[in-house]
Amino acid sequence: MTWKDGFILAFHGMISNKLRAILTMLGVIIGVAAVIVLVAIGQGASSMVTSRIETLGTNVIFVSPAAGTPFPVSETNIVAHALPFSLQVVPSMNTGSKVSTLTTQGSAQIAGTTPSYLRLGGISLAAGHFITPEEVSASQHVAVLGANQVSNLFGAQNPVGSSIMIMGQKFQVVGALNAVGQGPGASQDNEIFIPITAAQTLFRTTQLSQMIVKTSNPNQANLTADYLTNLYTNEFGSSTAVSVASEDQVLLTLQATRATFTNLLAGTAAIALLVGGIGIMNIMLVSVTERTREIGIRRALGATREDVLLQFLFESMTMSLSGGLIGVIAGLGIMHLVPLILKTPAVFSPAALILAFVFSTAVGLIFGLYPAIKASGLDPIHALRYDG
Amino acid sequence: MIQVTNLVKDYTLAAQVYRVLNGISFTIPQGMLSAIIGPSGSGKTTLLNILGGLDSPSAGQYLLNGRDVSHFGPDEWAHERNHTIGFVFQSFQLIPALSARDNVALPLVYRGIPQRLRRIRADEELEKVGLGHRIHHRPQQLSGGQQQRVAIARALVANPPVILADEPTGNLDHATGLEILEILRQLSQAGKTVVIVTHSQEVAQVCRQVIEIQDGHIVTNTMEMEHSL
Repeated sequence: MTWKDGFILAFHGMISNKLRAILTMLGVIIGVAAVIVLVAIGQGASSMVTSRIETLGTNVIFVSPAAGTPFPVSETNIVAHALPFSLQVVPSMNTGSKVSTLTTQGSAQIAGTTPSYLRLGGISLAAGHFITPEEVSASQHVAVLGANQVSNLFGAQNPVGSSIMIMGQKFQVVGALNAVGQGPGASQDNEIFIPITAAQTLFRTTQLSQMIVKTSNPNQANLTADYLTNLYTNEFGSSTAVSVASEDQVLLTLQATRATFTNLLAGTAAIALLVGGIGIMNIMLVSVTERTREIGIRRALGATREDVLLQFLFESMTMSLSGGLIGVIAGLGIMHLVPLILKTPAVFSPAALILAFVFSTAVGLIFGLYPAIKASGLDPIHALRYDG
Repeated sequence: MIQVTNLVKDYTLAAQVYRVLNGISFTIPQGMLSAIIGPSGSGKTTLLNILGGLDSPSAGQYLLNGRDVSHFGPDEWAHERNHTIGFVFQSFQLIPALSARDNVALPLVYRGIPQRLRRIRADEELEKVGLGHRIHHRPQQLSGGQQQRVAIARALVANPPVILADEPTGNLDHATGLEILEILRQLSQAGKTVVIVTHSQEVAQVCRQVIEIQDGHIVTNTMEMEHSL
C-alpha cells in the first residue's frame, strides 16, 4: 500500500463518519488552539511590561524595605542629599482599601506620595492636576485617580471636583490620569494618589512602602544603586533588610516571571493536547474492534501486517493533522479576538504555532501506534469470523 | 496446481491437543473444479484456511504451483494470497463502507496499482459478473446474489490462478446458488483452479473432483478424467 493510498483510505474513513471524526479531533483542536492563544496572551503581557519599562527609562531605582525594617518618610531627605549629583527621590506609602462615592463602591491601591511622582514619567493627566506641594504641606484630603478607578467609580463622568470616601475619610478628587496599562508591579490605573502627609495620618504610620530614586543621568544609576545598597547593608547589617533594584534588574525579574507564566500557559495547553491524544487512542481502539472483520478481509486479500498497521496509523495521523489544522485556524481567530474581548494584547508566536502543529502530529503518531499494532496483530481467521 | 502430502493440523485447547487434520494427501490439477466435502466439524474449513495460508499446518508438505509454501510466514502468505489466490466466502465478506467498485479493487491496493487503473480493472470485472450498473452501490444496497458476484469479481480482479470458495452458495437461494456455481464452473474451464468447500452434495455434483473428508481423514477422492472444454 502506498502512502497516497493510505491517506486516501484514512480520509474516506473520516468522511464516512463525520460526527465521530469531529468529536475525536476536538481534543486536538482545543489543545492546538489553546497553545496558540495562551502563548500569544503570555507574550502580549510580556511585551507590554517591556514597553512600559522602556517609557520609564533605565535610570530609575526601586528601594523597598523588607517587612519589619524601619524605613520612615525621613529617609527620603537623607537619600536626596547623600550624593554629589541631583536625585529625584519619590516616597510611596501603599495600602489596599475600599473606596466609595455616594452611589458606587470598589477597592483601590492607595498611594501616598509627593508631586515629584509625576516627574518619574510614565503617567499623564487626563483632567485636573496632580498633587501639589501646597496640598502636601497642608496635608489636604485630595486624590488623583488612576484610569480604572475613574471608570469604576464615576463611569464616563469627569470625576474632578467630586468627593470619594477612603478608609472613612472624605477626599476631594483633583485629578484623573490617562490609562497606562500593566506596568512594573501594580498598574497605576488601579491606584489612587493622595499627599504623603495625608497618607501618614490616614494609615497611622510613617513607614514607607517604597522609595523610587531617579537620576538625571542614566550613567549615574548604577553608582547610585551601589551606594544605596552599601548604605543600607551597613545600616541594618544585612543585605536583605532593604532591597535596591535598578530598572534593569526589575526588568529581568519581570521577564523571568513572564517567561514562567508563558511556560505555564503552554504547559497547560500541552496537557490539553495530551488529553486529545488519549481521546484519539480511545476512538482508534474502538475502531479496531468494530472493524475487526474488515481487517480480516484485508488480510485475506493480501494486506500484510505492515499494511494494516500503516492504515490505522494513517487514520490516527490524518485525524490529528486535521485537528491540528482546524486548531491552528481556530487559535489564530481567537487570538485576534483576545485584544477586543479581554482588553489585553496578544502577540502571535510562530514558534508556538509550529510547536503545536508538530506536537499534534506526534500525538497522532504516538497514540495511534498502540491501536495500529493491535490491529496488525489480529489473527485473520478469527478476524474474519468476528461477529461484532 | 495444489499438492498436499501428509498434512496434519493440531489445535491445543485447555492443554489438550485436538487433531483436526490427520495425514491428508491429495492433488488438485490446474484448471480443476474441485469440491472438498464433509459434515460440519470434519476439518474441511481448516483445510481451506491452510490452502489459503490463513492458517498453517502442524506437519506435512504443501506445494502451490510447484513451490513449497509449507513454511511461509504471515507476510509471505499475504503476498502469495494477493498474487495467487482469490477468496470467495459464504458470508461474502465485503466491506460495508466501500462501494462495489472499491471492494472489488481492494486486492489491487496491496499491489501498489494506482487508483485510476484499479477502478478500470474493477469496473471490467463487475461488468463480467453482470453488475456493471451497480458499481457505486454499497453492499447493503445489493441482494445476496449480487453481493456474492461482487465477491467473485474481487477474487478475480488480480487474475489469480487459484480460487478458494468457502460455502459460496450457503447464504443464497437455490436459483442464485446455481448461477454462482455456473460462474465458478466457467472459471475452471478458463483454466483457473477452483476449490469449493461445501457440505452440499448438489454443489459437489457439479465438480469434476470431489474430496470427501470425515474426522480429519480423506474418505474418498474421485476425479472425472475427461475434459469438457
